[in-house]
Amino acid sequence: MATLEGFRNKDFLDQITILNDIAGSKTPQDLPALIDLFANPTGDTGVDYMVVGALNAVLGTSESAVIEGLASASVPFRTLCIRTAGEYAFASAAEPLSAMAASETDPDLLVEILASLAKIRPAGGAAVFRAFLEHPDAMLAAMAMEMAGVYADPLALPTLMDTVKGAEADDAYDTCGITTWKAIDALAAIATPESLAFLVECVHHKNPTARRIITDALVRLGETALPYLEPAYSAASLDMRILACNIAGFIGLRKGADALVRAFDTGRFTDPNVRYAAFEALGRIGTLKGLVCLVDGLEENDELILMAVVTGLERHAAPGVLKTIAERITAGTENSPRIAKAIIASRALRLFQELYKEPGVAESLMTALCQSQDQDILDAFAQRLKQMGTDAACADAASLPRAKAATRKALAVDDSKSMLALYRNILTDMGFEPLLASNGQEAYAFVESGEFADVVVTDMNMPIMDGVELVAKLRGALGYEDTPILMVTTESENSQRDVAHKAGVSGFITKPFKPEALKTALRQLLGAQRES
Amino acid sequence: MDVELAKPFVKAAVDVIGTMAFITPRAGKPFVKKNTIATGDVTGLVGLTGDGKRGSVSISFQKSCAVAMVKNMLGDDIQDILQDVKDAVGEITNMISGQARAGLAEKGLVLQGSTPTVIMGDNHSITHIAKSPIMAIPFETDQGNFTIEFCFE
Repeated sequence: MATLEGFRNKDFLDQITILNDIAGSKTPQDLPALIDLFANPTGDTGVDYMVVGALNAVLGTSESAVIEGLASASVPFRTLCIRTAGEYAFASAAEPLSAMAASETDPDLLVEILASLAKIRPAGGAAVFRAFLEHPDAMLAAMAMEMAGVYADPLALPTLMDTVKGAEADDAYDTCGITTWKAIDALAAIATPESLAFLVECVHHKNPTARRIITDALVRLGETALPYLEPAYSAASLDMRILACNIAGFIGLRKGADALVRAFDTGRFTDPNVRYAAFEALGRIGTLKGLVCLVDGLEENDELILMAVVTGLERHAAPGVLKTIAERITAGTENSPRIAKAIIASRALRLFQELYKEPGVAESLMTALCQSQDQDILDAFAQRLKQMGTDAACADAASLPRAKAATRKALAVDDSKSMLALYRNILTDMGFEPLLASNGQEAYAFVESGEFADVVVTDMNMPIMDGVELVAKLRGALGYEDTPILMVTTESENSQRDVAHKAGVSGFITKPFKPEALKTALRQLLGAQRES
Repeated sequence: MDVELAKPFVKAAVDVIGTMAFITPRAGKPFVKKNTIATGDVTGLVGLTGDGKRGSVSISFQKSCAVAMVKNMLGDDIQDILQDVKDAVGEITNMISGQARAGLAEKGLVLQGSTPTVIMGDNHSITHIAKSPIMAIPFETDQGNFTIEFCFE
């Protein structure tokens, strides 16, 4: 008590020295005087702030005083005790705090109480949080959901699932509420067969942000999520199959690749878009079985799918693989030039370098390369040829044509590397200089740096910033008010197209498409713009 | 826990704008943003670090709301509306950051806040420094809207 006697009459320096000492020594005898100072502040903000700090420190050594304080008539002191109980995780505070949670109605105080309980984490606490899952205050409900995940509370599942499903309602799906986010994370944390199967069912959630959060959650779960993805490969919805393939690719485990190969073998992947996604995923994972499957993919006729196959093989170019590719290119079948073209278009420099050494293959590759209208591609391969250093390679490098100089620019946005390579190919072929971005944010960075594109081709679903959001932003940007924007989509629901249309998309094209179809669509849009 | 961190900022925003600019904001439903871009006409941005965490908080005002705040704060004594809006938003952001951090410090979470940066320009974009999802809280006022965006990792 001695230290705080006559405190109010001391000067500022003495006051803060004393409070500093108390905060360090944490003497319980100082408690009554500190509580008095807290109840009747000195009026000097600096000192009063230190009183709170000292009181908090002393309370931390006295669990009984904190419990007593929880019943205090003074709201500020009660709040301080609530916080202190949590900060020091006083177990005996759990019961009174739970009782307070049940009777308190002020949302601000409830946040304090629940935050404190969350730190104490008492054994039977799940029920306390469960009561707030549907609280009208979104922040409180979000907090309760987070804790349902921490407690892995199976009884919270119905509410969590309703929250995620409810966010797909017609009047709700354009924004992703924080409860949707927390419900998804909680379902992933609870990780029961029911909750995981549910998350996989929701991979194609109507709201793009929620969809992204679900994908991230499943990827984070890794091996645990894999068994639940497999049923999705036979799902009626193609979008669901595609997204499940993507997730398996991002998880990147052998088990995931095995399941994808099984799905191929049992004829579940007949749709070209699904095949594309599955090959892309296999390329990412790169197991032996997956590589065999990718090599089979060289039989594909679709230019886009072939590019996904080649991109995958480029990552794992083993001698056996190289030999097979060389055989396919020299076989003289209808597909031989397509494979050579895919290697050039997807900029598979490693494959190129190895295959170039194989007798008869170099000619086919060089033919495909000379047809490219893309100066970047020509430069990249020319440089590689020079690095290889043989006389033949240097002569080939010197013989490469120069692409016609482009006068117009086109912005292509897609999170798939193979799709971007395809766009680069098609756009340069049409005489555009391509600007490539892997999501909306990157694309918008071009616009902000003053680049102007005569036409924009964008994917709909992308991480970080999706196509719809990009289009909305572009329409607000100077010079892009009337620029033709083509959206590439696999979406089956009309509602998604409506949203995109409202955002300002000029036209749509559905994947997969033949390069010629994209060219036609772009010419039509550019023609329409000239006429208007 | 994001909510526990965000709540003091929301509370501070309502307090500060109410006290300083005599405008009563009504909080809307918080939502999650997938991209890291904040959009508005005038934005105050503060970077936060401490306790092994880092993040940023931005408050983006519609032009009408920012101008109304300045008028309420300065009365008829407006010299240069652009400069005054910039100063006012910077000052308000600073106060909100300070008040919220004081609230968090009482809970044992001490954060350092940077000096606010103010960005002006119709419908501009700024980028937050964080990889985790961003929580946005929309506010309505009779004079226009503003949004607080909060991200922490």
